[in-house]
Amino acid sequence: MRDVSREFRVGDATVRALDHVTLVIERGDFVALMGPSGSGKSTLLNVIGLLDSPTGGTYELDGEEVARLDDNRLADIRQQKIGFIFQSFHLVPRMTAARNVELPMIFAGVPPKQRRERVRESLGSVGLLHRATHRPDQLSGGERQRVAIARAMVMQPGILLADEPTGNLDSVSGREIVNLLLAMNAKGLTVVLVTHDPGIASSARRVIRMRDGRLFADGGPETAGAGPETAASPGGGSTAAPHAERDGPP
Amino acid sequence: MTAADILALTAEALRLHRLRTILTLVATSVGVIAVLLLTSLGQGARDYVVREFTGMGANIVVIVPGKIETQGGVPPMGGGTRDLTIADAEAIERQCPSVLRAAPVAIGSAVTEYGGRSRTVPVLGTTPAFYTIRNLAISTGRFLPSGDPRRGEAVVVIGRTVQRELFRGDNPLGKAVRVGERRFRVIGVLAPKGSSLAMNMDDVVIIPAASALNLFNQTSLFRILAQARSEVEIEKAERQILDLLADRHDDEDITTVTQGAVLTTFRSILNTLTMSLAGIAAVSLAVAGIGIMNVMLVSVSERTSEVGLLKALGARRRQILAVFLIEALLLAVTGALLGVGIGVAAIYAAAAAFPNFPMRPDAVWIGVVLAMALVAGSIFGLLPARRAASVAAADALRGRIG
Repeated sequence: MRDVSREFRVGDATVRALDHVTLVIERGDFVALMGPSGSGKSTLLNVIGLLDSPTGGTYELDGEEVARLDDNRLADIRQQKIGFIFQSFHLVPRMTAARNVELPMIFAGVPPKQRRERVRESLGSVGLLHRATHRPDQLSGGERQRVAIARAMVMQPGILLADEPTGNLDSVSGREIVNLLLAMNAKGLTVVLVTHDPGIASSARRVIRMRDGRLFADGGPETAGAGPETAASPGGGSTAAPHAERDGPP
Repeated sequence: MTAADILALTAEALRLHRLRTILTLVATSVGVIAVLLLTSLGQGARDYVVREFTGMGANIVVIVPGKIETQGGVPPMGGGTRDLTIADAEAIERQCPSVLRAAPVAIGSAVTEYGGRSRTVPVLGTTPAFYTIRNLAISTGRFLPSGDPRRGEAVVVIGRTVQRELFRGDNPLGKAVRVGERRFRVIGVLAPKGSSLAMNMDDVVIIPAASALNLFNQTSLFRILAQARSEVEIEKAERQILDLLADRHDDEDITTVTQGAVLTTFRSILNTLTMSLAGIAAVSLAVAGIGIMNVMLVSVSERTSEVGLLKALGARRRQILAVFLIEALLLAVTGALLGVGIGVAAIYAAAAAFPNFPMRPDAVWIGVVLAMALVAGSIFGLLPARRAASVAAADALRGRIG
């Protein structure tokens, strides 16, 4: 993967979930997106992950302009380059852990023999090989999220996007998940995660704080817990943003 | 993605949403059953009437005394109607080339008595030709003897009901029964035939035409039944009969009625009946379709988040639609086959319970119903999936529509 550069502007007439955001994320980075509810951080994550298309602006992924690609091409990029994990895991309840991990490969057309091999590898890398035949309702929250990570990583994407991955977990399992993500990041995986938890954000190499659809602060992990806006508080409004990367309204 | 993959995914989806699966199956099969039952009822009714008519005998021209005028005007003066006689029937049979045979029919009602038991029954006076024309059958003994129809022999053929009521278990052959004021010897018992055109051939006694005219003190026959040589000759026969009798009676004082005319009228009425039943059936199928649609729409939000997930995992739109389409088709086909199975079984059960009413499953309707189920199933199954697939994946994941 070459340097990932992204730049996009979203201008929406009614609700501006993202208001002319300009952002560059380097390959191999570990970025935490923070901000109060409704600040646009999940939208930003979805746009990065091509689950949502921007209404304005440009977005380059791996040097390819992706904002205006057709549905199928977007699906292919998601399949090959991006892995997702979610706060509520989004595992398919009827399927075993192994089957859940296999799912992306089914759509990618990976032959069944290879699939089994890669399911084992992927589940092994999250330490859940012994749980392969269990269904999600037989797994703990932390285990479910690890299955989700195995599923996200089975296509060996360069980017992992996580939407509050520890939001439904106790602090111990949450820590395990973060450590897992850190370990993967150390091997070169680009991780972008949305979180409310300053403790988790402090593990990130870069912390971006958002408010009202704009980037509000961008810095190292030391900014995670500091500043007038903590994750849980609603947007203060009048406080000026220090060294924010932002564009003015058009 | 292989076909096996799609099937596996589909099977998993159906197993997960068990209630929805069952509801959809029930809705589909109920619709199918309704269509099959209603259409076969309609066709049964039509077949029933047609059979009643053909049971009367084929290619028949009925000759009724008296001119039934369809035009107004002054009634013919001094004409009067001549009697329709046994000689007329003989002349028709002999002189009309298109007529195969003709049977005089006299009719009356009399008390029939045997061994202290009596029963008032219709009495038919006729000749052996009647037996052939009306497709009768004998269970024991024989029908009226051939011979001079003007010689009124004292013999009688009785219907099945008459035999049962008067003779109970006894063998009636050779026994003397009293019909009206005269005694007749039983020479045969009719095989059960049931009703046809309001005439119950089981509850009747048949005596020679001359005997009947005597018994009831009549001079004119009730009617003459003439059988044409073939269907195409019916009209010719009708013409020949009219001409012959106009000649014999010096006036056109009879009326002929052909089965075909009546049957045509009835067929068109019954076709209308079948069509309206089919309409009702279509409505019930539509209701079933709406049932399926409801079930599918209720599940839209959960489907939507499923679609969102599949999108996030890199599934293409067409792959997602394929999974949902196969699922919907699988449901529709299973439901329809279930319905056809139950419907056909119900029709056979009904046919067994009411042997007089010819109900049978119709291959054409089964085909139609299967096709409709397929179409309804794929439309209603695909609709939510299409809607979900067209929503941005991010919204879909959260189960939001539009």
